[in-house]
Amino acid sequence: MTTTVRWEAAESTATPPPPRRGGGTSWRSHRRRGWALLIVAAIVVSAVASGVGSGTVVKAEGAGSLLDFVAAAVSPRLDAGFLALTGTEMVTTLAYAVLGTALSLVIGLIGGVLGSQTWWSSGVRSGRGRRLAGWMFARAVLVVPRGIHEVVWGLFFLVVFGIDPIVAVLAIGIPFGAVTAKVFSELLDETGRKPYTALLAAGSGKWSAMLYGLLPPALPDLISYSFYRFECAIRSAAILGLVGAGGLGFQLALSFQTLRYHDIWTLLYALIVLSVAADYWSSLVRSARARGRRRSRNGDGMRRDPLLTVSLAFGAVLIGFSTWWVGLDVSVMWSGEAWRFGSQLLSQAWPPSLGDGGFGGLLRLAGVTLAMSIVAIALAFGLGALFAVPASTPAHGRDHRAARALRLVAMLGSRFVLVVLRAIPPPVWALLLLFVMYPGILPGAVALAVYTTGVLGRLMAESVDNLDARPLRALRAHGASESTVFCYGVIPAAAPRFVAYGLYRWEVTIRETVVVGVVGSGGLGLVLHHQINAFDYSGALTTLAALIGLTLAVDLTSAAIRRSLR
Amino acid sequence: MPRVPLRLIALGAITMLLAACGAAPGDPSASAGSDGEQVLTIGAIPDQDPQVLQRQFSTLSEYLGEKLGVEVRYVPVTDYTASVTAFQRGDLQLVFFGGLTGVQARAQVPGAVTLAQRDIDAEFHSVFVANTGSGIEPIDDVSGLRQLAGHSFTFGSDTSTSGRVMPQHFLLQAGVGVDDFSGEPGYSGSHDTTAKLVEAGTYDAGALNSSVWDELVETGKVDTSKVREIFRTPPFHDYHWVARPDIDEQLGDGMTDKIRKTLLDIDGSDATEKKILRLFEAGSFVPTEPGNYAKIEQVARKLGLLH
Repeated sequence: MTTTVRWEAAESTATPPPPRRGGGTSWRSHRRRGWALLIVAAIVVSAVASGVGSGTVVKAEGAGSLLDFVAAAVSPRLDAGFLALTGTEMVTTLAYAVLGTALSLVIGLIGGVLGSQTWWSSGVRSGRGRRLAGWMFARAVLVVPRGIHEVVWGLFFLVVFGIDPIVAVLAIGIPFGAVTAKVFSELLDETGRKPYTALLAAGSGKWSAMLYGLLPPALPDLISYSFYRFECAIRSAAILGLVGAGGLGFQLALSFQTLRYHDIWTLLYALIVLSVAADYWSSLVRSARARGRRRSRNGDGMRRDPLLTVSLAFGAVLIGFSTWWVGLDVSVMWSGEAWRFGSQLLSQAWPPSLGDGGFGGLLRLAGVTLAMSIVAIALAFGLGALFAVPASTPAHGRDHRAARALRLVAMLGSRFVLVVLRAIPPPVWALLLLFVMYPGILPGAVALAVYTTGVLGRLMAESVDNLDARPLRALRAHGASESTVFCYGVIPAAAPRFVAYGLYRWEVTIRETVVVGVVGSGGLGLVLHHQINAFDYSGALTTLAALIGLTLAVDLTSAAIRRSLR
Repeated sequence: MPRVPLRLIALGAITMLLAACGAAPGDPSASAGSDGEQVLTIGAIPDQDPQVLQRQFSTLSEYLGEKLGVEVRYVPVTDYTASVTAFQRGDLQLVFFGGLTGVQARAQVPGAVTLAQRDIDAEFHSVFVANTGSGIEPIDDVSGLRQLAGHSFTFGSDTSTSGRVMPQHFLLQAGVGVDDFSGEPGYSGSHDTTAKLVEAGTYDAGALNSSVWDELVETGKVDTSKVREIFRTPPFHDYHWVARPDIDEQLGDGMTDKIRKTLLDIDGSDATEKKILRLFEAGSFVPTEPGNYAKIEQVARKLGLLH
C-alpha cells in the first residue's frame, strides 16, 4: 500500500522541487539538524505554555467520575427502542459519509483536472504566462476550503440552508473535495501522458482527450483513493453530528448533555462498528489495488480488479440509497432563499472585525492553538509509533508457534485499541479528560493526541507493512535476530515515513483544535464558538482568517521539513 | 486497462431515482410542508433529555394540531444557536426559547411575537455550587459571591440563561468579572456537566439551573459530600414562547392569536391537558411580555451575546 504514503504526501501543500543550491550532503544534514533543534524547542515551549510541569495537571479526585463512565462500558443500553434508534442513526451517519464522499469525488475530479499541470501545459491557444497563472489560480482556490474544518463549514451552511440534509453533505464534500482535487491532480500528472498527447495531436478536443486518454489509466488509483477518503468521511460525519447534523454524533451530543453513560456507550459501540467496517472495506480495496500495481510492474499488464468493480457498484447503490435515506434534495442549492440568507450572512460578516483583545489578543489565541496542536502531535507521534509496530502484520519469521500466536494477539489487540481511539470523536475525549485533568490547554491537547494516535498509529502500521522486504530478508538470512532486524532494518526504513505522517497529521490537528475548543480548551476554536453563538459573524470571520493563516503556515513549515528529509 | 463498469453505475443511478420517490427516514427536517399542506413547525432549545423533549413536544403538537386545524410538526435541534438560526430562517415558526435565545431570536426577527410562558418561568433561579474541598462557604446574598474571586469557575452552555447569562449578571453585581477567576472560566456545555465537573474538583465552583440541581440532588446523581449549593439567586424570567411574525400570513389571519389562546387555555381540564402540563412541569401557561426579558437583554449586550 505504498499508495497511501504518496497520497498523504500529496494531501499537504504543493511541494516545489527540492532546491538545487548547495545540494551537498553536509549542508543537508546541517539543515536537518537545524530542523530537529527547532522541533524540539517548539515542543518544549508548547508543553510549558500548556502547563506541563506546573504541578497541577492531573487530579485524582475526579477518577471516580471517569471510572463511572468506563464501568458503563460493560452495560450499554440495550433495550429494543434505543437499539432501533441507534441503528437508524448509524445508517444516517453512513449516508452522510457516502454522499459527502460522492460530492468530494465530483469536486475532486473537476478540480483535479483544472489543478493538474497536464491540463494547463497542453493548451495550444494560450500563452505560457497565462497557463501558469491559471494553474496557480486553480491551486490557490483549493487552499481555503482545506483550511476550514468541516464543523465550521457545517455551521456556515446551517445558516444558509437551515435544517436540511444538504448541510452535512456540503460540509463534508467541500473540504474533502479540495483535498481530493489536490491528490487527483498529482495522480493525473503522474499518469503517462502519451495516449493523451496522441489524442490531442490527432485533433481531439482537450476535454475529450482528457476523458479518453488520461482518465482511464488513472482511474483505479483515483477510485482506491476515494475509498480511503470514505473512511475519513465516516469519522467526519460523526463529528458533524455533534453540531446538529443528525446521526450518531447528534445522539451522542444529546446523551452527553445529561451524562447518560449507558446510552453513550451504545452509541460509541455503533460508531466503532461503523469505523471498523469502513476501515476494513477501504483497506481491502486498497491492498487489492496495491497488488494490482505490483503485478503490472512485473509486466503482467493491468487487469480489471473484480473487488474494485464490485466495490464501485456497491458504492453507486449506496449513493442512491443514501440520497433516499436522508431525503437529499439538491434543488435547495439554487433556491432564491438560500442565496438570500447566504448573502445576508456575508454582508453581516463583512468587514471582519477584531474582538476586544485587538490584534495582540488574536496573536495570543493563535499561539494557544499552535501550542495545543504541537503538544497533541508530539504526544500522538510517540504513542502512534509505539502502537504501530505491534499493530503491523507479523513477518513470517522462524519464530516459535507460541511466539507467533502471541504476536498475532498483540497485533489484533493494538489494532482494536487504535480503532477505538479514532472512532471516539475528540470533543468526547476532551470532556472525559476534564474529569481527571485541570482545565486549560492540556486536556484539549491530550484529547486531540488520543484521537490522532488512533489515526497515526494505523497509518504508521501500514507503512511498516509496506517496507521493502528485501533488506529485512537479507538481514535475517545473515542470521540476525528479530530484534536486530527491527533495530537496523525496520526503524531506519520506517522513520522518515513516520515523520512524514506526523507532519501531515499536524496540519490536520491544527484544524481540529476547533472541535475541542467547544468544551473550553481555549484558543481560536473556543473564541470562534463563542462568536458564532453570539451571531458575531464579523468577529468570526477574523478568527476564521487567523485559523486559515495558521493552517497555511503549518502547511508550509511541514512541507519545508519534509523537503529537508528527502 | 480496467474499464469503468458503466452499466453498474447506471443501475445505481436508476436505483437512486426510484428511491427518491419514497419517504426519507433519515431526513432531519422531514421536509416540512413539501406537499403543499399547511404545517406549523414548532421547536425548542435542546436544554434537557431529548427523549423528554420529544415526549413533551409531540404530545403538545398533537394537541395543538387538533385545536388549530393545521398539521403541527416538532423539529428537534441539537444546538441553542441552531434553534435561533432555524427560527430566523423560518424553518421553525413557533419556538419555546430560553431567556437569552428568545431575546436573540427577537433581535434577529423584527416583529416576532412573545406569546406566553409557563407559570414557573417567571420565578426562575440559578444555583451556585462549590466543591466541598474548595473552602467556599454558603452565602446569604449576592454580594457574598465576591468570595468566588481567585477560584476556578465553570458556566454551563455559553448561551444558557440560567447556566451563564444570569449567573454572570449576579457575579458582576458582586464585582466579580471573568478575569477575577483563577484561569479562564469553563463552559461545560450543560447543567449536568457543570455539577459533575465541580463534584470532580475540576472547577472549584459553578452555576446551573436550580431545577436541574434539585433533581440531581433528589435522585442522588451527585455526591453532596463533594459538591454543595452555596447560593440560590433572586428570581428572573426565563423560558417563553416566541412566534414568527408571518404565521398569520402563512396559516391564515388570526392564527397567532389562536395559538396564544390555545396555549393559555390549557388548564388541565382533560387528560391530554393534564399530561401536557405534567410533561412541562407547569401549572398553566400564562401571558408574558417582552419587558420581562429587558434585564437579560441588557446583560446579553454587556457580554457581547447580542449584535
